[in-house]
Amino acid sequence: MLNVALPKGRLGDKVYNLFKEIGYDCRAMEDSDRKLVLRDPDGQVSYLLVKPSDVAIYVEHGAADIGVVGKDVLLEGGNDVYELLDLGFGKCRMAEAAPVDFQENQQRPLRVATKYPHIAKKFYNGICREIEVIKLNGSIELAPILGLSDVIVDIVETGTTLKQNGLDVRREILPISARFIANKASMKFKEAQIRDIQAKLAAAIEEKAGEKK
Amino acid sequence: MSMMTFLSEQEKLVLALRELYQGHGCVRFPMRRFEEYDLYLENKSFLTSKRVLSFTDGNGKLMALKPDVTLSIVKHASQGREGVEKLYYIESVYRQSATDHEFKEIEQIGVEYLGNVDRYATGEVIWLALESMSYCHGMYVLDISHMGLVGGLMEESGLAEEAHREVFRLISQKNAHELRSLLLKKGVSEENTKRFETLLTLSGTPEEVLNKAAELACNEESRRAVEELTDLYGDLKALDMQDHIRFDFSITSDMEYYNGIVFRGYVSGAPRAVLSGGRYDRLMTKMGKDADGIGFALYLDELNSLGQFMLPLKDPVDILATYSTQDDVAKVLADAKRLRDFKLRVYVTSSEKVDVEAYRHYRFNGERFVEVE
Repeated sequence: MLNVALPKGRLGDKVYNLFKEIGYDCRAMEDSDRKLVLRDPDGQVSYLLVKPSDVAIYVEHGAADIGVVGKDVLLEGGNDVYELLDLGFGKCRMAEAAPVDFQENQQRPLRVATKYPHIAKKFYNGICREIEVIKLNGSIELAPILGLSDVIVDIVETGTTLKQNGLDVRREILPISARFIANKASMKFKEAQIRDIQAKLAAAIEEKAGEKK
Repeated sequence: MSMMTFLSEQEKLVLALRELYQGHGCVRFPMRRFEEYDLYLENKSFLTSKRVLSFTDGNGKLMALKPDVTLSIVKHASQGREGVEKLYYIESVYRQSATDHEFKEIEQIGVEYLGNVDRYATGEVIWLALESMSYCHGMYVLDISHMGLVGGLMEESGLAEEAHREVFRLISQKNAHELRSLLLKKGVSEENTKRFETLLTLSGTPEEVLNKAAELACNEESRRAVEELTDLYGDLKALDMQDHIRFDFSITSDMEYYNGIVFRGYVSGAPRAVLSGGRYDRLMTKMGKDADGIGFALYLDELNSLGQFMLPLKDPVDILATYSTQDDVAKVLADAKRLRDFKLRVYVTSSEKVDVEAYRHYRFNGERFVEVE
């Protein structure tokens, strides 16, 4: 029996449908009363529905054997897990955004509001820019409007929210997508099953990519 | 009643491990709790956690509470190339926790072989590592890799030094998709990129892996690595523990220190590796020692979360003395005292079914205890 950690919400639904397609369905998931731990007595897997930013933690500590998580969460958490596959969906980018008319003052540290302090620090270190991080937990776009920060570092999907708030992408930091991850010890004892899921997921994704073309 | 009853599971585990290591002729290495800070400053990349607890001593010299034991052992080693010095240690190390960044005191137990580490010595260290884990309930495996394989591949592909760290990180995550794009960006040929990809996915039983690894060997260094692994596996088969050995080339350790075999141990129920080790001739050279070194450490904090162990510990009494309920208690007492007067450890009971290990079994014959054949 494998424990699979999935992010609650839209991404999780999408991932579950993919798992169902490759033969890992779970009747309990289809019921409308959404519990957090879903076991199927005769199934090969149980699913745990957790907060997206916690998926990697469940997997790292072995509460789940495998999971699906956004690359942004993995980079921010720096979790010690195997990253086996890029699922290619949930695509967006990590970017630096600023008000449309923003003029950078190089003489003082750049004030950066973000949910991702670790990623932000690494990025600005790489370009030798001194920064002051302001860690926020939501509505990041507000920060530059209210003068709390100069710029923001956040995930950008379509850019609509940015535009509505008078912001623009200044620099792209890196592309983000959903990743298939595994606990290191689980991989030693349940490798055949994990590799089977990995191979089937890879095949399913390739097939879909083919259909789109 | 055995003395073992008074000890916690962890204390018993430590005792069993000490017995194991001493049984192989290892000597406990005595150590202080602190070392000069410079030792860690110069070998920062050897440490798993970079921050060190430091303080100044009476003469104003900067000292540190040991974050690692191997460095201290190597520093004080006097062993040359003649023979092998077999050491073990049980020490507290002070490290920053990866999760909450607080300093923690972690008890570590480990084995180091210094000197002329030949094929036998390597086999014996792996054997000790396997036996150390065999005390845990459930399954255990030792993942073995060889730094020469990845090192040879890096050299062959002409990868710049500064990219090594990033490549190592991706290999240890088995992250084939990002490794591919990184290598192609760094100008590594398609052929060598494929080799890297194969390397990182190669894992499993030695038979499965060795043939494929031989195909990957593209230069002298990597060919030698595959040869060494083949030899090692052949030697280990003699121990009949091959079910617990896997080869996995995603294990990486710092190439500045490690050069040969590297390994990690996993037990079912623990989410992280509980044992980590490898061959560190480069560290020996770096510290100015003319000798080889190989060793491993067991993380007792990870093991303790498992709770129970299967320990081969025996703490037998000298005599298990049984009487029947019809016997005269005064006579039984008197004779038990006679046995005790010899300073023998005696367990007296009326039940035949007690869980006590004894060297000899005596029974009361109405007058006195006599030995049962």
